[in-house]
Amino acid sequence: MTKQELIEKVNSVLAEEFEKEVEELTPDANIKQTLELDSLSLVDMVALIEEEFGVKIASSELVKIQTFQALYDYLEEHMA
Amino acid sequence: MIDSVLSVSKDAINTCLTVEESNLFVQDGYLSESGVIEHIAQSAAAMAGYGTYACGHEPRLGYIGEIKKCRFFSLPQVGQTVCTELNVLGEAAGVTLLSAVSRTEGMEVAECQMKIFLEQQPL
Repeated sequence: MTKQELIEKVNSVLAEEFEKEVEELTPDANIKQTLELDSLSLVDMVALIEEEFGVKIASSELVKIQTFQALYDYLEEHMA
Repeated sequence: MIDSVLSVSKDAINTCLTVEESNLFVQDGYLSESGVIEHIAQSAAAMAGYGTYACGHEPRLGYIGEIKKCRFFSLPQVGQTVCTELNVLGEAAGVTLLSAVSRTEGMEVAECQMKIFLEQQPL
């Protein structure tokens, strides 16, 4: 999967789950604010990412992933 | 609301409950939906408790944060045994997302997702 394909898949999966427009998910946007995540729905995103991309995001890593760009980079780095 | 724990690990647990007539949640000879959910919730509590116990920690107070994607296909009758399989789907910011499937005599009776939150300080 190319980086661009990865970005498009991440955006479509998250946009559908959290009922947002794909255009709202820009690389520099803050994930929690854009997807309107609270502590309960944050775990939905983590579970969805693990299910779709096979990548487990540890809580210690999660705090560093603030923007969509950081998420793309993390997934690219950790996908087999 | 659990009779036995068949297997348990940090990420999964399998429990069973035989439905008794005297069970608080029995109505007209069936374990009610609330009873199935309480059984699932206590299975989650047992898994969380095992997790802290296995690490040598004191038990911690837990809360159910959310129950969703709940579906019931049938209800267990008095005398039947309901067995539940719980799996961790994800963890973030102290909240654990679990999936639960409950079966009676091999037939699925219910499924749901549940979020539990454990207080950081032991009891």
